[in-house]
Amino acid sequence: MALYNFKKIMVVPTSKEFIDITLSKTQRKTPTVVHKHYQIHRIRHFYMRKVKFTQQNYHDRLSQILTDFPKLDDIHPFYADLMNVLYDKDHYKLALGQINIAKNLIDNVSKDYVRLMKYGDSLYRCKQLKRAALGRMCTIMKRQKQSLEYLEQVRQHLSRLPTIDPNTRTLLLCGYPNVGKSSFINKVTRADVEVQPYAFTTKSLFVGHMDYKYLRWQVVDTPGILDHPLEERNTIEMQAITALAHLRSAVLYVMDVSEQCGQTLEQQLELFNNIRPLFANKPLLIVANKCDVKKISELTEEDQKIFADLTAEGISVIETSTLTEEGVMTVKTEACDKLLAHRVDGKMKGKKVHDVLNRLHLAVPAKRDEKARPPFIPEGARIGRKTMEVDVPKRKTERDLEVEMGDDYILDLQKYWDLMNQDEKYDVIPEIWEGHNIADYIDPDIMKEELKVKDEEMQEIRQLAKQIREKRKLKIVCSKDKDVHGPRLPRTVKKVERKTLEKEMGDLGLDMTGKDDSHYAVNARRSRSVGVAKKRKREASVIPTSRTRSQSASRPPRDQSGVRDPKMAKQAKKLMKNQQKDMNRQGKKGEADRHVFDLKPKHLFSGKRKSGTNDHR
Amino acid sequence: MRIEKCYFCSGPVYPGHGTMFVRNDCKTFRFCKSKCLKNFKKKRNPRKTRWTKAFRKASGKELTVDNCLEFEKRRNVAVKYQRELWSKTVEAMRKVEGIKRKRQAQFIFNRLKKGKQLEKEEAISEVKKNIHLIKAPHAGKAKVMEEKMVQKLQDVEMVDD
Repeated sequence: MALYNFKKIMVVPTSKEFIDITLSKTQRKTPTVVHKHYQIHRIRHFYMRKVKFTQQNYHDRLSQILTDFPKLDDIHPFYADLMNVLYDKDHYKLALGQINIAKNLIDNVSKDYVRLMKYGDSLYRCKQLKRAALGRMCTIMKRQKQSLEYLEQVRQHLSRLPTIDPNTRTLLLCGYPNVGKSSFINKVTRADVEVQPYAFTTKSLFVGHMDYKYLRWQVVDTPGILDHPLEERNTIEMQAITALAHLRSAVLYVMDVSEQCGQTLEQQLELFNNIRPLFANKPLLIVANKCDVKKISELTEEDQKIFADLTAEGISVIETSTLTEEGVMTVKTEACDKLLAHRVDGKMKGKKVHDVLNRLHLAVPAKRDEKARPPFIPEGARIGRKTMEVDVPKRKTERDLEVEMGDDYILDLQKYWDLMNQDEKYDVIPEIWEGHNIADYIDPDIMKEELKVKDEEMQEIRQLAKQIREKRKLKIVCSKDKDVHGPRLPRTVKKVERKTLEKEMGDLGLDMTGKDDSHYAVNARRSRSVGVAKKRKREASVIPTSRTRSQSASRPPRDQSGVRDPKMAKQAKKLMKNQQKDMNRQGKKGEADRHVFDLKPKHLFSGKRKSGTNDHR
Repeated sequence: MRIEKCYFCSGPVYPGHGTMFVRNDCKTFRFCKSKCLKNFKKKRNPRKTRWTKAFRKASGKELTVDNCLEFEKRRNVAVKYQRELWSKTVEAMRKVEGIKRKRQAQFIFNRLKKGKQLEKEEAISEVKKNIHLIKAPHAGKAKVMEEKMVQKLQDVEMVDD
């Protein structure tokens, strides 16, 4: 497997589990029913199938194990070496070899027994053959117990290895234990490696990632290395050595200036010289850590000479303190720059570069005159760059203020406002006035208006018209109130009193004084006098017939016209009265009055319906 | 905080009142009360619904074109706060409001003048036709005649003298 995907290796079961799984699978997935009386070829086929099925299962599973585990020759030498260090190459290869052998043995067993089963003549014989075959396969697997356990442990550890890409940009930290390698990686990346005062806190490789110049960088933290020859190194140190040996990275050799790690500077230098061969072809940087405790300038002359020598050789020495973060960024930038330069150089010397270079052409405009035209970087970008490079404390934020003031803090956004007059900042701004938005008005414009004069002449006419309307309404109301039912009698039937006539005409404005000689007055007197005279003459014998005195005597009253004698008149009257009786009793106004006063009288519709009908009870 | 206009009746929508409907083409419609919203949902045209301001303006019952109405206009430019500008604006608003009311009233008055003219004519015709309900045709005539006779007599006397 060329990929570094050790997490995808299938789980290796223990031998017991393996056997259980396979056998139960055989039982479930193959037919289970067979009888003595079946035809022999059917019985044979049945048992052969079982044997083959088991063999197939074992074969598949074991093949998968063999392919999943990486071949040490196929993967990157860094990983190959690492695995050698951790798991011992020989043991690993041996285990896998054993598995392979087991697989082949199982295949052979199955082949043999299937051949034998062709000659089985009874159910019992075939069954025994099957039992033997399965038994042998399972015994083979039982023997692989050790290998399987070992492989499972290897798998678990492999899947937990940090994914280090050997080809990308890497910074490698090395040095004595307890010098500050893990603190450095914690500061520079988001990794959270354990930092403790005892040696060998870091027991394996750790990876952190960081960004610089828009690229991804790996930072590898190693366990500390002690100063003894290669053969005597333990597994933990060997990991560091492996990393150093195989990863093409920039090496940061971390030294403890204050000698708090327990080693003197000479010893550290000794180690440095010993592992120097590993740094061949790698950009090197020396990190003088823990400078907050002791600076190089505070050292003795001899010790300072060491550093001077190193600088003279061309290796940059940078003082840092992972506690105060002093110099950490400088180290980072230097190391990254160096590694980039190295990598670019390497690529330039290679073969592929020329293809690319042939196609590139940098066009530079020819200089017009001697005037210098540097690139224009706006102020904001300059400031931004500065903040990116060095961690300078930024301006005081509101949050800082809040923390300072505690309970007294009030969020006052108006202090940031930028107005024409700075003292108007805290004004209460009106927004609405009398249902209008102030924001909708800007420039006022004042104008004057004229009033209209009222018309005097029309007033009189209006008043008269009003009176007319009122009078009309009154008349309408009066006529409605009259409640005239029955035939409309002509005006001549009624007698008009002299007094009312004179009053009405007087209201209308006519002069009604001195009207004794007028026609109507004379008529009135005449009719009256006639009636009175009549009454004086025949007061006893004549029956008063009707009120129609205003009429002329020539026209007989209605109830006398066509009546021969008083007897007949009496009879006629009686008839009339008889007819009226009924109507009077029922309260009817006339023959055609159908009005019902009480449509639903309560006594007919309420209560229990005992005797009676709806018309009476 | 601003007082919006109801889309249907053009009345004021104070903050905390009314509803807003947002259509799929991102046009928002504000309503002052559910009456307006219900009418809108029934797809009624505010320019044809008699009680709305839109109808009144569209049918010429109210003042539409006037320069005092141009003052109240939503401007999309933000102006930074200045105390004197704001106070002057409030003063101007008061004056403009007064003038606007007078002008609107005048407009309506002018519109109703025609009615007054008609009323006048009606009154005159009413008086001409039905004066007899109040006054008799020759109500003052007797007196007038008497006076005339008196005058004649006087003239005769004068002449005699």
